[in-house]
This record gives sequence, structure tokens and C-alpha cells, in this order.
Amino acid sequence: MRESLSARSFLVLPQRGGRVSIFEIAIFAGCFVFATVGLSQNFQDIAVLSFLWAGLALAWNIAGGFAGLISFGHAAFFGIGAYTSTILFLHFGLSPWVGIWCGGLLTAGFGALLAIICARLRGPFFILSTLAAAEVVRIAALNWASLTGGPEGLSIPPAAGMANMVFMSKTAYVIMMSVFLVAVYAVTKSLEGSRYGYYLYSVRDDVDAASAAGVNPSLVRTSAMALSAGLTGIGGSLFAQYFLYLDPTFIISPDLSFQFALLAAVGGLGTAIGPVLGSFLITPMSELLRSYLGYQVAGLHLVIYSALLIVVVLYFPGGIAGALTRIAGGRAKL
Amino acid sequence: MTTLGQLILSGTFVGGIYALMSMGLTLIFGVLRIVNFAHGEFLMLAMYGAWAITRVFGLNPYIAAMAIVPAMFLFGAIVHQIIVRPALDKPHLVVVFATMGLSIFMQNAALMIMTADLWDVPPIFSHSVKIGPFYFKAELLLGFAVTILCTLFLQWLIRSTYLGKAIRATVQDGEAAMLMGIPVPRIFLVTFATGSALVGLAACLMMPLFSVFPTVGLNFVLIAFVIVVLGGMGSIEGALIGGMCIGVVQSISSYYVAPAYGQMFYFILFLLVMIFRPNGLLGQKGAATIGIND
Repeated sequence: MRESLSARSFLVLPQRGGRVSIFEIAIFAGCFVFATVGLSQNFQDIAVLSFLWAGLALAWNIAGGFAGLISFGHAAFFGIGAYTSTILFLHFGLSPWVGIWCGGLLTAGFGALLAIICARLRGPFFILSTLAAAEVVRIAALNWASLTGGPEGLSIPPAAGMANMVFMSKTAYVIMMSVFLVAVYAVTKSLEGSRYGYYLYSVRDDVDAASAAGVNPSLVRTSAMALSAGLTGIGGSLFAQYFLYLDPTFIISPDLSFQFALLAAVGGLGTAIGPVLGSFLITPMSELLRSYLGYQVAGLHLVIYSALLIVVVLYFPGGIAGALTRIAGGRAKL
Repeated sequence: MTTLGQLILSGTFVGGIYALMSMGLTLIFGVLRIVNFAHGEFLMLAMYGAWAITRVFGLNPYIAAMAIVPAMFLFGAIVHQIIVRPALDKPHLVVVFATMGLSIFMQNAALMIMTADLWDVPPIFSHSVKIGPFYFKAELLLGFAVTILCTLFLQWLIRSTYLGKAIRATVQDGEAAMLMGIPVPRIFLVTFATGSALVGLAACLMMPLFSVFPTVGLNFVLIAFVIVVLGGMGSIEGALIGGMCIGVVQSISSYYVAPAYGQMFYFILFLLVMIFRPNGLLGQKGAATIGIND
């Protein structure tokens, strides 16, 4: 039984490649202004996280949504990025402004390595391999105490200053995270209509047809994974600069990997706006839930996340972005 | 020499128990080709069930199996109806995300209700069994014996019964099977539920040997997938052989290699098998390369 292309892939090809619409600019500008001007310090925390997770869900989406490389191991890249910039700063006094790029390059290398190792694997085996690889990194980070501080983690001294990339005001972090988000969004957007973007879609939808048409699948898979991992590593470094504390049981946990995948899937895989919408809706919801119900109810936010994920993938396969497109479909284009 | 012999034999028996846990997945993933990421959480749920019955009624986990196995059959049927069946006519990715969602849901629900503590049941037999120069836990030998019985039973079920024939027909060509009057949706339901009942049985036999905690499934689900692949997708005796190989490798490596890295074992082994033997021990083509794109 050979299914048709549209039946096999619920991810739709973009209608208008690469162009940024008024709608998108309005969302970004509105959220940015609201976060910098309209929110108190406590709520700015939520805005910082929403922007950061949106950028990371977008980075995940390059591999998972565009190239079909569903990874449940991206927390490893996030963690390696965070550790790299922090260790370079603590041991060698290297400014995080340089360190985040080192972290990004290193994680891009790890991403390429993982894609090469898993080159022959498809579907569930690729997914489980990424999960296993991330667990290996996590256990290594926990045991390699001389480098990573082991289970106690690493702390960055809270000395505010431009050179340390540590700031007193939350508004500075809102700006930092939105620059990251806009940068990742621009990368994703440029993929949408480009030749390379179509290579990614072709490898995702039919590897055999793609290689018959002259696409080199392993090169495409490796480069997509490297790009996605590198951006995730940079996001990890930014997270370290914001929290000033690295806890290996959180920053390399499978839960965090699921979170990236989940935000992207709920928002809409393979689209640029989807993961952003997913994060802007879910992150504030779960953060508010956590602060009202207290942190003692461990796992509650993930229970809600995952129930939402099941409902969305079963009944709204295009995610939020897909549902919006369907609503807008009959009327004038957004 | 005695040490090595002891290691190999205990590894074989532990591997038998791993194989029993994987046989449910052999039915669900190997035969039906449904990717059930929540398999490890099914095991976790059944282990908590066995632990609770042991604790509340003062029974032992083997007696608890009489309640756990039917309960897990029912649970599997419910999960199939609510989550798996709506996803079957959709792209493969939907089943992957839906069962992954279920897995996170069950893990965190367990974390909320049971906290992250480790729970054990008290040992059931006070003495080890001595065979020649070797000593074994009686619980281990019992588990291995049940595994062998289950292997024989499943072989018989798949090869000689009408149900087995119907399952094989459904897998080979669903439409033709339906035209021959086989109730295909019901076959899927029964096979999925049987797979989860087998996990329930495995959980009861594992409870005296392993502790239960919310993320216990994560280690075991990788082992289960490795065993299904090593054994050659859908082969019951393959799963037994694959399981025993894994058990021996684990017992030898945990004795001779640094124990700090022992917890990496499951993950490194999984990656090594995926890199070097993605087609299984018996070399069935395409075992680990099937998936979303097929």
C-alpha cells in the first residue's frame, strides 16, 4: 500500500517562500513591546523564557520539522553549549560574547557527528538513538566532575557588566533573547523558500526519490542537524548567562528535549511561525501554572504538556499554525 | 573461570527476563509495526501495580500477576482504542508523537503520585539456588523458566492458532485480510492488548529483582527496542536469543568495566547495535531502517 505524499506527511509545503508577512511582524513587535514596556520584573521572567524556548523550538524544527530528523536528544546540544561558554569563562576568563560562538561551533560539530552515526537509521530508531546519545552526554556530565562540577553544577558569578554578559535588568535579557529568536526565525524563514529548504523537505518526505533527483541525503541530513544543533548550543549559552547556574539534571534532561519537540509540534512542524506560536502560548501557561501551584507538584506541567500534545497530534495534525491556516484559508490570505 | 561462568550464566538468566519484557514489544512493534514509545511506561505502571498489591495485601508479586496481567490487557485495549487507533490511518509521525506524549504523561503522572522515590518488594526466597559451583537467585531462575514457557506459548499462538494466522495475514496485507473476512481492527486490538499483558507479566517477575521509580521505563524501553531489532523484527525466538546476548554482555561489562559508567551501558549498547547491526543478529534486512519514510 503506497500512500500519497500528502497522506504520509502532515507537514505542508509553504505557500509563499521566504517572504515575511505583516502578520508575523505584528506578532513579534507586539510581543516585544509588551515584554519590554508592559510587564513587571516577575512577568518579564516569563517573557524571557517564552522568547528563548521559541528560538530553541525553531532550532529543533530545522532538523525535526524541515528535514524529518526527529530528535529527542537536543538537550545534549543545549547542555554542551551552556557548559562550553561557562567553562571557557570560568577557567580561561574568555568573555561569553566569544564563548557562545565556541559553544555553537562545538555543538554543530556534535550535531554533525550524531547525524553521521545515525546516517542509516530511520523513524523510531533514529529517535531512540538521539535519546540514547543525550543520556550518554548527561551521565558523562554528571561524572566528569573536574570539568563540569558534577552533580553540583557550575555557577557563574553574578557580577553584572557588559563584558561578562550578565545584566541587572530583566529588560536587557528580554532584548537578548528576542535578538536570538529573530535571528533563528530569519534563518528558518530563509530556508522556507530556498533551494536548500526544498532539499530538506525532499529528504524528509522521500529519501529514495530525493537521491534519485540528485540530492545527497546524507550531506543534507548532516548539515541540517549541524545547523539545528549549533543554534541550540547558542541558545544553551544564553540560558546559562540568564540563569547563572548550570544544573546537569535539568539542562541535559530528556524532559528538556521533549519540550523543544513538543513546542514545535503543538505550534506546527515544518513552518516558521508554528514553533513561535507554540512557545508564546504554552510557555506562559506552564510558567503561570507552576508559580500558582508551586514547585512541589513535580511533573504537573509536563502532564498537561503531554496531554495537550496527544490531543493536538491526533486531532489538529498541522498544529496551531495549521489550524490558523485552515481558518484563514477560505478568506483573504494573511 | 568460575567467576566468568557465573557471570555468563547469570547474564543469560537476566537476559531471559529482558526478553520476556521485550516480547510484548515484539508483538506490538515487530509484528504490528506500531511504534509504542510508551512500552517502558507500561512496564513502570505494571511494576507499581505489582508493588502496591504486594504492599497492601501482603502478597508476593507472583500472585499479584493474576490481577496485573488482565488489568494490563485491559489497559492496553483502552490505550489502543483511545490513542493508537485514531493515529493508525494518519502519517507514521502521528503514532510516534502520540505514544511519546503518552510516555511523558505516564512518567510525570507517576512522579506526581508516587514521587521520585525508589520502591522495592522484600525478597521472596531466603536462599540462593546452588547449581554445580554456581549460585543463582531463585527469583531469577523462576523468571527465566516463565520466559521459556512464554516463548513456547507465543510460538504456538502465532504459528498454530487461528488468531495467529489472522495476525500474520493482517500484517502481510491488511486489505486482503479484511476481504477474507478477518476483523482487522479487532486483530490489532487483541494483539496490542496481548502485548501489554505480556509486559504486565514481565513486570511481576521483575519486581523482586529491580526497584521501581517513575523513569524506570527509560532504561528498559531502549533494551526492549534493541532486543526486538537484534532478534529480527517480530521473531519470538529471536527476541529470546537477543535478550540473552544482551544479558551476558551486561553482566560481563558491569563486572570488568568501571561501575561509574555502568549506568551508561543501556545507552551505549543501543547506539553500538544501531551503528553496527541495524539489521539484527540474523541479518534481517531493513530492521532498523524502516520507519517514517517507508
